[in-house]
Formats: sequence, C-alpha cells, structure tokens
Amino acid sequence: MVRVESPPTKRDIPVVRAALLPVVLMAGATAAGAVPVTGATRAAVVWCGAFATVVVATLTVVLNRRRRAMHVQRAAYEQRIAYLEHRIASYDQETERLSKELLPAAIRRLRASNSPQEVMRDVVDADASYRNLPKAQRALVLQVLDIIDNEEAMRDSAQRAFVSVARRVQAIVHRQASELREMEDHHGRNPDVFDDLLRIDHGTALIGRLADSIAVLGGARPSRQWPKAVPLFSVLRGAMSRILEYQRVDLHSIAKVAIVGTAVEPLIHACAELLDNATRYSPPQTRVHVTAVEVQTGIAIEIEDGGVSLSEEARVRAENMLAQAQAGINMNDLGESPRLGMAVVGRLARMYQLQVSLRQSAYGGVRAVLIVPRDMITTGPAPGIAHGIGATSRPQSSLDMSQMQHVVPPRGKHKARPAATGPVPSLASSAPTPAPAPAASATRPAAPAAAMGDDEIVVTEWTEGGLPQRRSRGRAPLGSHNLPQQSAPATEPAARNGHNGQGGGGSAPPGLWLEAFTQAVNGVPKEPKHDTDSDDVWDKGDEK
Amino acid sequence: MSPPRRERRKADPALSDPERLYVITGAPDGERAALDLVTMVVAQAEPSPMVQPEQAAILRLCKAPLSVAEISAYLSLPFSVVTSLLTELLATELVESRAPVVRASLPDRSLLEAVMHGLQKL
Repeated sequence: MVRVESPPTKRDIPVVRAALLPVVLMAGATAAGAVPVTGATRAAVVWCGAFATVVVATLTVVLNRRRRAMHVQRAAYEQRIAYLEHRIASYDQETERLSKELLPAAIRRLRASNSPQEVMRDVVDADASYRNLPKAQRALVLQVLDIIDNEEAMRDSAQRAFVSVARRVQAIVHRQASELREMEDHHGRNPDVFDDLLRIDHGTALIGRLADSIAVLGGARPSRQWPKAVPLFSVLRGAMSRILEYQRVDLHSIAKVAIVGTAVEPLIHACAELLDNATRYSPPQTRVHVTAVEVQTGIAIEIEDGGVSLSEEARVRAENMLAQAQAGINMNDLGESPRLGMAVVGRLARMYQLQVSLRQSAYGGVRAVLIVPRDMITTGPAPGIAHGIGATSRPQSSLDMSQMQHVVPPRGKHKARPAATGPVPSLASSAPTPAPAPAASATRPAAPAAAMGDDEIVVTEWTEGGLPQRRSRGRAPLGSHNLPQQSAPATEPAARNGHNGQGGGGSAPPGLWLEAFTQAVNGVPKEPKHDTDSDDVWDKGDEK
Repeated sequence: MSPPRRERRKADPALSDPERLYVITGAPDGERAALDLVTMVVAQAEPSPMVQPEQAAILRLCKAPLSVAEISAYLSLPFSVVTSLLTELLATELVESRAPVVRASLPDRSLLEAVMHGLQKL
C-alpha cells in the first residue's frame, strides 16, 4: 500500500476522473428522481440520492485505489517470478555445468593422483567462472571427490593385493620352471622321468599363465622381462607352451622377424590367451592354425580354429568385452565365473597398442587377428634361434651374423681344402666335388622359412687345436667362448699347413672342426677321400 | 643307469627361451626309437620348410654323421628331446641311424713309439 501511494500527485487525477462518472450519473439519477416528486418526498429523495452519490463516489474511489494497488502488485510479482525463473534456469545450467564439466574435470584430476583439496584448488578456484560457486555446491563437489577418492583408494588397494599375490605366484612358478628345466637337463637320459617332468612343467606353465592373467587384470604389466629380442616363432611357441592343448596348434609360415624384448612377454601372453580360446571353443579333434604375415602396420598374427562359428551376437559380445577391457575395466566387472581371456587380451592390447579383432574363419570357426605394431618388431638378427633352447642363449655380441656364419661348416668349403693337410675328415664328405667357395656357399641349403636363423646353431666351443668342445655343464654361454677364441683356431691351422687359399681368418675354420672331430673319434688320421658319398661314409665307419 | 651325480647347471633366467621343452617334443608319451647316446645319425635329405626348426637343425648338423650325444650338446637340448625329434625324422626317413661299430683296438702306444723312434733314428 505504501508503494501504491508513492507517486501521489499523478495518481490522484485518474482517481478523481474515474470517480467522476458514477458520481455524476448518480447525481443525475437523483435529480431525475427528485423532479417528479414534490414537497417532503422530494427532500427525502434528494437526501437519499445525495447519500447514495456519496457512497458510490466513495466506493468508486476505494475500488479504483484497490485496482491500482493490485496492478502494481501484479507487476511486482511478475517481476519476481521472472527473476525466480531466471534463477532456476541458471541453477539448472550451473548444475549441468557442474555435472558435465566441473565434476569430470575434477575426477580426472583426482585420478591423476591429486588429493581432493588439491583438485578443489586447481579446478574450482583456479577457474574464474567457478570461483563464485555457492557454498553448497562447493561442499557437494568436495564431498563427491572425497567419496571417489576413498573408493579409488579401496579399489586400488584391492587390486594391489591381487597383483601382489599374483606376483608371488609368478615368482614361485618362474623358479619352479627354471628348476624343472634343470631337472629336464639332468634327467634327459631317462625318458620315463623326463616325460613326467614335462608333464609337471606343462602344469606349471598353466599356473603361470593364470597368475599372469590376474596380474594383468590388476593393472600391472607382465612381470617377466626378456632382455633381448626373441624371434616371433619362439614367441608363438612360448604362447603354445602356456595353453592346455598345445598339441592342437599348428604354426604355419611364421614371418621371420623378432620381437623386441619389452614386448615379448605381453605378446606371448596375449597369444596364449587367444590360442587358449581357440582350442577351448573348438572340437578336440580339430586343429588350430596360426600364421603370421607382415602387413603395412606390422605383423598380423592370425589364429583360426575349426570350432563352431561365432554367432553375430557372440561376436559382438566378445568384441564388447575387448572394447570394455581396452577402456579399462576393473575386476568387479568380470562377474561370477569370469572369462578372463578376452579381458586380458583387451587389457594387453590397450597397454601395448595391439589391435585385436575377431572374425569368422574360413574354416567355419573363429579367426582372431592380432596386429603387432611395427615398433615392436626388429628384423635384425635375433640373438635367439627358434629351435635350440640352450643354443639360442648366446649373449648378444657385437659381432654380427655374417661374421658368425663362418663358424658353421659350409659344406663345399671344406672340400676345397687341400689334401695335404694330413688328418682329413673321413666321415664328412658327401658333396662330391670340390667347389669354389662362393659357389659352395650358394649351394648350401637355404634355411627353411620356419627355421629362423638356424645357421648359428653349429656354433660351439673350440679348443686350441680347433677341436669342437662340448659345452661344459657349467653352461658357459656358447658365444662368449667361441667368439673371442674364434680367430685362433681359424688362423692357426691355416698357417701350419702353409695354406693361404681360404683368404683370411674369416673363412678359415670351415671343416676344421669336423676334421678334428673325426680325428678324435677315429683316433687314427686317415687319408682324405673326397668323393665319398654318404654310403661310403658308413662303410668307412664299418671298416674301423 | 643313472648318470653320475653332477652339479646341475644353473639356468640363467636372462638366457632362457619362452618355449618349454614339451612344445618341441610333442606329445610327452610319444614312442621313442631305440637310440643310444652314441648312435650315429646322418641326414638323408635337405631340411624342408615343413619340418620343425629343431629338426631342420638336426638335418643340417647331420649332413655328416653325428652322434646323438653331440646333437644333444650342439642343440643344448636334453637327450630325450633329441630322441623324440629323431624318432619323427626316422619315421619320415629323413635321417638314418646306425649303432656305433666297435672298432678294432688302436695300435699299442708302445708300438707307435717304437716306430717313431725308429724313424727318428733313420
């Protein structure tokens, strides 16, 4: 009411004007009523009319005032409503911004191992638009962060516990495996014991894979480290040795590349899980085929099984699982009877930028394709070779493979040696004609695709006399012995025989080892016989 | 039968390989050919791409006859692994094996020395 009266001067005029018409009308009506009547009646009518006019005038004024007051009030209310609506809208907006921008940003920071207080400082206070956040919202954000922090800490500790248990199991398994390897060497001559040892070995490898899986799902990297590059063939066989039905796996045309040391263990593990899936979900009599071919982006390892075809739904589910794992799942999502395989593969794929896809196989089963990025691959000579478990374990030397080649007895070359050298291989000659060295090396059989770097295998230790020496039980690494001593036996016999035809130490030793060996075997130096074929060799053996 | 007790070689973890022996051997219960440590083995064919790398290595090694023990040493594989690899190779006739022939005993050392001295006196 106070407000209504606030502008009095201008408001009074309309009031009077509004009141004028009813008052005039009423006065007119009174006058008209008073005209026909006369005497005392007229006086009464006039009085009544005057009274009614006053009442009407009063009423009109009052009503008018009230109406104006209502107008003003309504305007005020409308203003207020608009203001409130605006407030509500801005609150909505703010809440949305809170939930869509502020909280995610804050949680991201929190995940980057900041404390909630730090996050508040960095995210909320540092941003001008958030600085004036209402107290309640601040409290809300802080509380949410606190809760998340707490939960994360709990989950972290649970995962760490998982990982540490898995690590312990892994340690035991590794020790067990290396001891088993020793035992296998030790009892290698007793087939019964040996076969039993192999079976235990296999079981241990399976346990090891499970422990690895748990560790990977716990967010840890694979524990095992391989210091050197390992050939892909060995990697795939390593994967085979970790699954139950390794005998059903066939390796075909594996690209001759090596995997860099850091990527070996994850790759073995991922392949083992895929192979396990393939063997597990296909009939026991079918085979699983593995190929590895080079593609633009790296190496594509294809694992095909002959099982039931993956239905579209199942494929989507499996790929979902992969995608989920790549997005980072936690152990709680695995469910009651966890199917770890895909989750593990997904995890590893995310950690190491592998690409995995599942497709329908031409055999009707599933074809899993694992693409290994190029930076995990080295095409240089892998220090290991696929076959010889021990023979591969030559420490990496600065000598390259071409230098190593001459340790291998090339077939033709030792033929070219002159007969005058006295003790001569009696058992060793099966190539009929002496050939010039280059041609001879060309006639050497090319290593088959599957045998990666097999040429190095004949490398062995050398005694002073150029005699090949069996490696000692102390497991002296092959290369460490033969490499430095290489030149001595290489040049010495050549000098002794006054024979220069072999052109330097690099090509000298071929054949010598064999000669010395047969010498040692026979005990008697024999005259050379160049044209013996393998039958003659045996005959000669009989002669002795 | 049991070999003399000797110090087991310590496997250097850095030097080991990812693959375990049973993958190389195949089935643990496979039949094994009657092979001895001193059985001589000779390859009958060039290694083909179809054979396992270890078998290819044996074929390459055995171009000249070699005893099983030596194959085992060169490949650093236990004897039993080598025999089962050889069994497969024998079955596919890629190698041939022959038991060692007992050689006539070498000439007496004293006789050789006498000859040597006689020659020196000439």
